[in-house]
Amino acid sequence: MSLFLASLGFGLVTAAVLAIAAVGFTMQFAVTDVLNLAYGAVMIGSAFVAYWLNQAGVNVWLGLLVAAAAGAVASVLLNRGIYAPFQRRGSAPITLVIVSLGMTLIIEFGLQAIVGGTSVSYTMSQGPTVKAGGLVLTTVQLVIIGLSVVVMAAVHGLLRYTKLGKAMRATAANRSLARNCGIRTDRVVTVTWALTGALCGVAGTVLAINDGSFGATSADLFLVVILAAVFLGGPGQAYGAMAGALIIGLATEISAAYINPSYKYVVAFGVLLIVMAVRPGGVLGATA
Amino acid sequence: MTSAQLFYVINLLVYAGVDIIACLGLNQQFGVAGVTNFGFVIFQAAGAYTAAVLSLPSSAANGGFQAYLGGWNLPFPVPWIGAMIVGGLIAVPFTFLVGRRLRGDFAAVGLLVTAVMANLLVTNYRPALNGAAGLSLVPAPLQGEYNPQSAGYQWLYAAVTLVLAAAVYWLVRRVTESPYGRSLRAMRDNDVVADSLGKNLLSLRTAMLVLGGALAGLSGAILVGFITLWAPSAWGYAETIVLFAAVIIGGAGNHRGAVLGAILVPVAFEEATRYIPSIPGKPGLVDDLQWVAIGLLIVLFLWFRPQGVLPERRRRTAVGRPRSVMPNEDVVTLAGTGPEPGRSVAVRSVPAPALPDGGPLLRTVDLTRDFGGVHAVAGVSIEVRRGTLTGLIGPNGAGKSTLLAMLAGTIPATSGQVIYAGTDVTSMPAYRRARLGLVRTFQLASEFKRLTVMENLLSAVPRHRGDTLAGALRGRRYWRGDEEAAIDRAQALLDRFGLSGYADTYAGDLSGGQRRLTEIMRALMAEPAMLLLDEPMAGVHPRLARQIGAQLLGLCAEGITILMVEHELAIMDEFCDPVIVMAEGSVLATGTMAALRARSEVVEAYLVG
Repeated sequence: MSLFLASLGFGLVTAAVLAIAAVGFTMQFAVTDVLNLAYGAVMIGSAFVAYWLNQAGVNVWLGLLVAAAAGAVASVLLNRGIYAPFQRRGSAPITLVIVSLGMTLIIEFGLQAIVGGTSVSYTMSQGPTVKAGGLVLTTVQLVIIGLSVVVMAAVHGLLRYTKLGKAMRATAANRSLARNCGIRTDRVVTVTWALTGALCGVAGTVLAINDGSFGATSADLFLVVILAAVFLGGPGQAYGAMAGALIIGLATEISAAYINPSYKYVVAFGVLLIVMAVRPGGVLGATA
Repeated sequence: MTSAQLFYVINLLVYAGVDIIACLGLNQQFGVAGVTNFGFVIFQAAGAYTAAVLSLPSSAANGGFQAYLGGWNLPFPVPWIGAMIVGGLIAVPFTFLVGRRLRGDFAAVGLLVTAVMANLLVTNYRPALNGAAGLSLVPAPLQGEYNPQSAGYQWLYAAVTLVLAAAVYWLVRRVTESPYGRSLRAMRDNDVVADSLGKNLLSLRTAMLVLGGALAGLSGAILVGFITLWAPSAWGYAETIVLFAAVIIGGAGNHRGAVLGAILVPVAFEEATRYIPSIPGKPGLVDDLQWVAIGLLIVLFLWFRPQGVLPERRRRTAVGRPRSVMPNEDVVTLAGTGPEPGRSVAVRSVPAPALPDGGPLLRTVDLTRDFGGVHAVAGVSIEVRRGTLTGLIGPNGAGKSTLLAMLAGTIPATSGQVIYAGTDVTSMPAYRRARLGLVRTFQLASEFKRLTVMENLLSAVPRHRGDTLAGALRGRRYWRGDEEAAIDRAQALLDRFGLSGYADTYAGDLSGGQRRLTEIMRALMAEPAMLLLDEPMAGVHPRLARQIGAQLLGLCAEGITILMVEHELAIMDEFCDPVIVMAEGSVLATGTMAALRARSEVVEAYLVG
């Protein structure tokens, strides 16, 4: 039982990290129409920004904010410099996916050329251990869960109650119709890149904190988990991605307690393929 | 040359042969058929592992230091054949990803994820294929009879590899340059339209996954027989990206381009950079920069030269006589010399199945389509009588196009029935309805852009002997008769619609009106008993529109039944009888235009609509 509770705790933390990443990814896809596989590379790049600050003596939680900004800037530039020109030219969606894979190589291995192939860690304290209802978590893990809840609430508030959120949903549903209704879709798209890029930066940093150590290509496997959560919830569905993240996060960590931990991502992979085969539109959530 | 240099040359030749085979397989999938297989390396790995465990002696007999399944010690060429079979067979489970339902880019992501996960599984599960350490001491083919270290053996190995690469080139060319290959390219350019013209997308894509998988498996077998070891580090998902880079740079869709790409990227580029000395204190820097360069090459080529170094060739038909007409000439001038309504017919149609009661050719019962709670079409029951040119009008959003799409099977009905020629076709996929003679056109331009006008027309021909994989493999002699007959029909149609000067023009280069004509001609090539036309005259000059209308009446006189969505009331007045009026998802009225104009609610729907 304690094994189950321990893995449940890990599952909640993984789900928290995953939720931030998956919501960012799915909103990015919904509004911008780019299936950006370089998302994981931007995550790790942002995590390294926090690492460099951390090395210079800056607290990692402060570094997290800078990483968010770095993720936002990188994503906007990625769109402005690469994706948007291809889209303007009318390139097929699959061409953009191939371009994003090319960008993944450029960012990840460019980063690795700078930082080298070894893994690094933040200098930080895990804080005292907290026990609650049989769950045992470190303070840092609790902060990650809390941060994720705050981010989810903020996304909910954005989509439901703000003009920008409405404009984002309208753009996601039908870009040309939204433009004809007077929504400045170009600006909405750019803001979306910035916002989801910030989520991407936050996700990269909390992933690095949670994993303990990370290298330039650490996000490759995590991207698979993000995709599983996104597709489980239905591509482009923000609430679906939240639910998908919770399910995948718990499923991977709890299964890791009972089978070889090396295979924990295989669970995510199995879920992804089954969803693609059976319900290509996603299983959960029908609203954006 | 010293023996070390000789060995190096042989090494390069074998690698070149292996990469050429792999790139040709990938090009057949991606460049020709538009199947973006980001998991291509899985199939190569499967072939390599299969060849290894088929040729290795049993694990215990091999010293027991590595664990693996199999170990049957089978003689050459069984391991290579086995590798091809396994490479082809493991493609079968993936076919669920590439069917009609999943977007192409989603399927690609699914395959990429599969590649990452397959590598993870093999790395961590030692008993099957020795885990991360991989398999070593794989016997070279015929090593009992010959000495694999001898120069003669090595040269022979390189020669056999290159001969096999040449054979693969011959094979993929034979498939691609056939009517079957034309169907593959049509599917690549627009899969929904290919579906509506009777192409079974699932079967085409499955065949391509299996063929490409078998070729990938062969390339893996040749490689593992030469280097005698195989491990998960050799087939990371990024290796697939290198092959994609090769195909894109060489020229996707052109097999010569794939060969060139294989020589340029995996062989020349990776070999050239191998000689860059590693920088002290920066281990792996050169490797990292190599990956960066691959990424840059992909992005830059897709931007500056998406067609690659050797672009796909334009296929000219012998009959297509080039004339001095500018391809971009406006359709209006074309119309002046254009359709000649009086000409004899080049249209063949499926003899409409005889019905005992002579009832309607097509009817629907309470046909409904919901989009997230909105009734786009709500309980529509209509009848289309044989030989009529029935019009379908209604304001924007009335559900006309949705109804047409349900009739053709492009989108499924939420409830209700479609009965065509006495058969309930409600749950029949679009391609099978097309094969029964129920053929549609599309509201938006739907030409196959990178096929010529002639190829667009030929692509729709049903029951072509060369339009199956087996038929394509039997060669031109087997299907030439059908092809010539089809070209004659297409030529007659081109003459009839005044487009014979454009036979060899890419459909993507035509003007709007010419595209509409091409689409109608293509639908006619499918030998329809019933045509479903979605605004065939939209964006066409009024004079040409009226000529198209006259052509359609002519077709009806020849026995083809037509249901046509149209906005232009004048067109309806002149050509359509009866006319069905839709508004807000329901049928408002049916009758002649004269009768409809007398009814106030119809006029109101149109004016207020």
